[in-house]
Amino acid sequence: MNQPNATDPLLLLTVDGQTLEALPEETILACARRHGLYIPSLCELNDIDHAPGTCRVCLVEVASQNQTDEPLLAAACVTPARAGMNVRTRSRRAREAQRLQVELLMADHNQDCATCVRHGNCELQDVAQFVGLHTNRFYDRARVMGRTVDRSSPAMVRDMTKCVRCQRCIAICRQGQTVDALVVTGNGLDTAVGLRHGLSQAESTCVTCGQCLLVCPTGALGERDETDRVLDYLFDPEIVTVFQFAPAVRVGFGEEFGFPVGTNVEGHIIAALRSLGADIVLDTNFAADVVIMEESAELLRRLGDGRRPTFTSCCPAWINFAERHYPDLLPLLSSTKSPQQCLGAIAKTYLPERMGIDPARIRVISIMPCVAKKDERARSQLGAGDVQEVDLVLTTREFARLLKRRGLDLRSLTPSTFDNPYMSAYSGAGAIFGTTGGVMEAAVRTMYRIVNGHELDHTEVAPLRGFEGLRTAAVEVGGPIGRVKVAMAHGLGPARELCERIRAGTADFDFIEIMACPGGCVDGGGNLRSKKAYRRNALKRRDTLFAIDRATPVRQSHNNPQVQALYRDYLEQPFSERAHRLLHTWYSDRRVAMTLTVKDIWNEITMSTTIY
Amino acid sequence: MTKIAYGVWDGQAVDRRAGETALPTGWPDLDGFDFFNKGNPIRAFIGDRGFLIFDDSVSLVDAFRRQMEMAAAQSCGKCTPCRIGAPLIRDALAAYAQARPGPIDLDGIIELARQMTDSSLCGLGRTATVALMGAFRHFRADIEAEIATTQPLPEQAGMEYMTAPCIEACPSKINVPRYIDYVRDGKPDYSLGVILQKYPMAATCGRVCVRFCEMACRRALVDEAVGIKTLKRYVADRQKGPDALHFTRDMVSRQLAPEMRVAIVGAGPAGIACAYHLLLHGYHVDILEALDEAGGMAAIGIPSYRLPKDVLHSETDIITTLGGRFLFGQAMGRDFSVDDLFARGYRAVFLGLGCQEGTHMGVAGEDLATAGYETGISFLLKVHDHIAGIRKTDLSGDVVVVGGGNVAMDCARSALRMGAERVHLIYRRTRADMPADPGEIEAAVEEGVVFHPLVNPARVLSDAGRVTGIELVAMRQTEIDARGRRGVEPIPGSEQFMPCTTLIAAIGQQVQSGAVQPQDGLNLTRWGWIEIDPFDLSTSRPGVFAGGDCAFGPSTLIHAMSNGLQAARSINDWIQLGHTCFFPRTRMRALLHTHKLLASDCEEVPVKREYRVHHPELDPEVRRTMFEEVEATISDDDAYREARRCLRCYRIYSVITAQPIPEGAELS
Repeated sequence: MNQPNATDPLLLLTVDGQTLEALPEETILACARRHGLYIPSLCELNDIDHAPGTCRVCLVEVASQNQTDEPLLAAACVTPARAGMNVRTRSRRAREAQRLQVELLMADHNQDCATCVRHGNCELQDVAQFVGLHTNRFYDRARVMGRTVDRSSPAMVRDMTKCVRCQRCIAICRQGQTVDALVVTGNGLDTAVGLRHGLSQAESTCVTCGQCLLVCPTGALGERDETDRVLDYLFDPEIVTVFQFAPAVRVGFGEEFGFPVGTNVEGHIIAALRSLGADIVLDTNFAADVVIMEESAELLRRLGDGRRPTFTSCCPAWINFAERHYPDLLPLLSSTKSPQQCLGAIAKTYLPERMGIDPARIRVISIMPCVAKKDERARSQLGAGDVQEVDLVLTTREFARLLKRRGLDLRSLTPSTFDNPYMSAYSGAGAIFGTTGGVMEAAVRTMYRIVNGHELDHTEVAPLRGFEGLRTAAVEVGGPIGRVKVAMAHGLGPARELCERIRAGTADFDFIEIMACPGGCVDGGGNLRSKKAYRRNALKRRDTLFAIDRATPVRQSHNNPQVQALYRDYLEQPFSERAHRLLHTWYSDRRVAMTLTVKDIWNEITMSTTIY
Repeated sequence: MTKIAYGVWDGQAVDRRAGETALPTGWPDLDGFDFFNKGNPIRAFIGDRGFLIFDDSVSLVDAFRRQMEMAAAQSCGKCTPCRIGAPLIRDALAAYAQARPGPIDLDGIIELARQMTDSSLCGLGRTATVALMGAFRHFRADIEAEIATTQPLPEQAGMEYMTAPCIEACPSKINVPRYIDYVRDGKPDYSLGVILQKYPMAATCGRVCVRFCEMACRRALVDEAVGIKTLKRYVADRQKGPDALHFTRDMVSRQLAPEMRVAIVGAGPAGIACAYHLLLHGYHVDILEALDEAGGMAAIGIPSYRLPKDVLHSETDIITTLGGRFLFGQAMGRDFSVDDLFARGYRAVFLGLGCQEGTHMGVAGEDLATAGYETGISFLLKVHDHIAGIRKTDLSGDVVVVGGGNVAMDCARSALRMGAERVHLIYRRTRADMPADPGEIEAAVEEGVVFHPLVNPARVLSDAGRVTGIELVAMRQTEIDARGRRGVEPIPGSEQFMPCTTLIAAIGQQVQSGAVQPQDGLNLTRWGWIEIDPFDLSTSRPGVFAGGDCAFGPSTLIHAMSNGLQAARSINDWIQLGHTCFFPRTRMRALLHTHKLLASDCEEVPVKREYRVHHPELDPEVRRTMFEEVEATISDDDAYREARRCLRCYRIYSVITAQPIPEGAELS
């Protein structure tokens, strides 16, 4: 067989008259891209190694080896470059074929672009512009608008009227996150993407990590938009709006307004919230410090009882994953609520008591780099009666939309600072919650202090700071606890690997940090979307978080003066009766039963395919 | 011979309506193409290479509407040109056929058809509109004349058939691309649903099938055939634990009256498949089996390191789940006769007796009573009993296996596991001539079986009733004969002695002697097999059908299972109608096959090479000592990767006939 090997001669081909050198088995598209030539493409996404060859937009003309025959059309994303190949990407035939393909895509696509959240940031629009689409002969509104729109989830909306069947969502869910909640449904014109076993988004095995939203080229996948409800609160004089924003938001938001990737725009966000009319601006970082107080105490208590390992519980998609896919491991999860929920709980009890506000008037609104936080907010465990700890969650994207709806440009605002004396100060430990290993490092700093009565010599714990999907380390905490064996996983693939090892009894760890999104919150599913790219900004954002940690005068959660005040004046100590009531929660087995009968399957496949 | 009025084939147009002209070379020979079924002439044929019109009053618009109806219905909906293009062309043609203004003009149809052919992802889209484009290019005036009429065009009769090379190669006609697609779609349980439409033994077939489909796979033109069997095993093996697929009685379409009983003789693959389909039809089925377990050759003839017994039995148990009944320890010829079965009230009988008796070598000194002498099948039975804990057999010293088929490989590899110090394999032709699956030969070599090709047994030597060795004669290849084959002949004076403690003659099998008695009324062939009509598997005795090895001689699992399905259809027809029926898809396949109408094209656009995934396998040194399964199921990731390699070489073939094609007519 013609397996490529290093001794193969140079592979030269001609693309639009230029001679290019291709790597063995490199596709025409990859080769052209490497040499700076643009070929329109839609379904393909190189960052996740996805080239299903389904949209067929990247058509190029390849001269037949037999010079007398007509040239062939080939999809550049899946067709390998071959020596001597003559490729034309902009010939009349290629251009017409590309344009007709996009016209066929538009025949089956919701045309109300102005109503779409991806308007102006849509890969399909880009491609339509590039191919010079000028007619739309085949659009059938009744057919398109009859397609499924699944609004069952508090977190996400799946709108099949805008799906181009690129299958990127399936790829990221299957290979990237190993959740594998999505399948191709139907056939022929009815082909769509759906949840396994025909379940709705809310009932399905989906954990709402939102990674699929980051790869969707159009507006087919999106968060449930809450900007209108936020505006309602902002303009209701009876309501006291309390905003919080997550550690990672400040380093992943500036790009939308032209700041370089990774710029810390904390001050701009505070100023923007004030301009919007926010009554009180708090920082989720503060609550991250509170979480560390509770979680460190909890971990030490569990280790004292010989219970191990303990999983972190800040990440709501991880909680969903554990409840849906590994319910047998739920007893190992820390009972400490996430920073978002801790902040909500305290903002509706301690804060109004301090500030003399009627708690019933308070509405807590979070800005999160996360889709699953919307799901978390709605959990029945995290509220009492009609009152939820957090009332609304906006993703970073919705927050950008909110500013635009008020005509605010982040660049024109003068950065401001927090002014709430109770719940806005944070330590460096709270700041690094937004990246993989950050929760672990913050916890180690505090645990060390609890056990030894003094701080770590070196605040930064280097062994925890790698970026591989699954990392392990042993940290000397001292005292009766000694060495603590820790593991950190980001992305659900590595998380699943760890869960399997624990199930099998082959893992030996005390403390495990899981972040469902690869990279952690800095590349969470609620971040700004980029076109034809996946996870390109995580490291820059991460560096900024570490820089914030270094620049913060207080670097340990227990040294945050507002946290100290909270415990002194209100909670007394970690795990006190009040702390337990406000800051701890429980989990439930939500495994999805997926038993089909052969009859069920036959009913469906005999409708769609001939039985041979 | 059928007269072509006009048409386009491989891009060339012919119009003989004004006068007879010679057909270009390469056009199909259409001898015997006149009628689809009795009294129903074929008026037109549309395929992937073009179309042929025999009756010039055929409406092209309606004929292509039918073709596109099928394309739109069968499109997998992944790539844009086929998903959107096929329904658009279909709707336009349907409008013209009904004398309504079409949503797209003729040029628009051509534009879409060309886009489908030139840019679709798979074989379906790339071939569905080839004939249509030929018609629009060369016979546009005819099409324009048709759509100029103000009356709706008459709807024509006919049928459409979608297939692929792998489907045609499979004896059971499994819809291979469809089940691979379901893996790709993330629904492996649906893949299993596709396989279960044909037979219940998917995990078994996924382990031991000889893979005619893979031999036909066009992916081999790019790199290697798709691992079709590997994927079959993957989808079947996933059915474990709480989320396993459930078999329920409601799979039975309509339960028939209690007297609708059928007897199946033999619980091998043919009998199991036949029972399965009869149960699905609503019959009450009893399977009479001589042994005490189900599976036939799959149970005793295939060692457990290739097919674990629990896997096999979980699949034969499906029969019980569907209401079938196994009657074990019942041997035909010993415990009952065919007459007895009819006397017990069975409406029909299926014989799936198999070939359970080893053939002897016919050389001097061969005596069945000699200790250490075995036929392949008697040895495998001992292996089976050894593993099942029924009776221990321990080998030592040198073992000689004679034969080059899969049974010989199974015997040789099993002998190693039973304690043989060395295992020699004797075969009269070359290693390349061995009929065994190449993978099995490879595995035997890896595990240390010593191959001796071009050697033939001449005499069995024994001492005091025990085999002591075998006298062998070397063979040489003769010149290539008139049929292009090389024979072998002994080399005089090349006799040599090979000592052994056990000699296994694995050279063939036949129907158990005494199973079929003269009073059963069954004709036998000169090979001693039960004579059947290959069209419906009926025997010389009305109401008795036969299939599998007892009717065709030692063959494959997949052949046996396809016989079971075919016999179940015949038995249903025979009981319900009193005669067996014409099956349109079978007729279509015969037409395609006889007239070589399936395109044998090569890949024009280069395809990226991605080699197939392989089963995780144990080290040969470890596996030669154990009877546990040597190959593991592939991972989910590997399954997705392998499924992506399928090129989906679907093609649609249609005929237009004078009258509607009935299910259940008799063939002309």
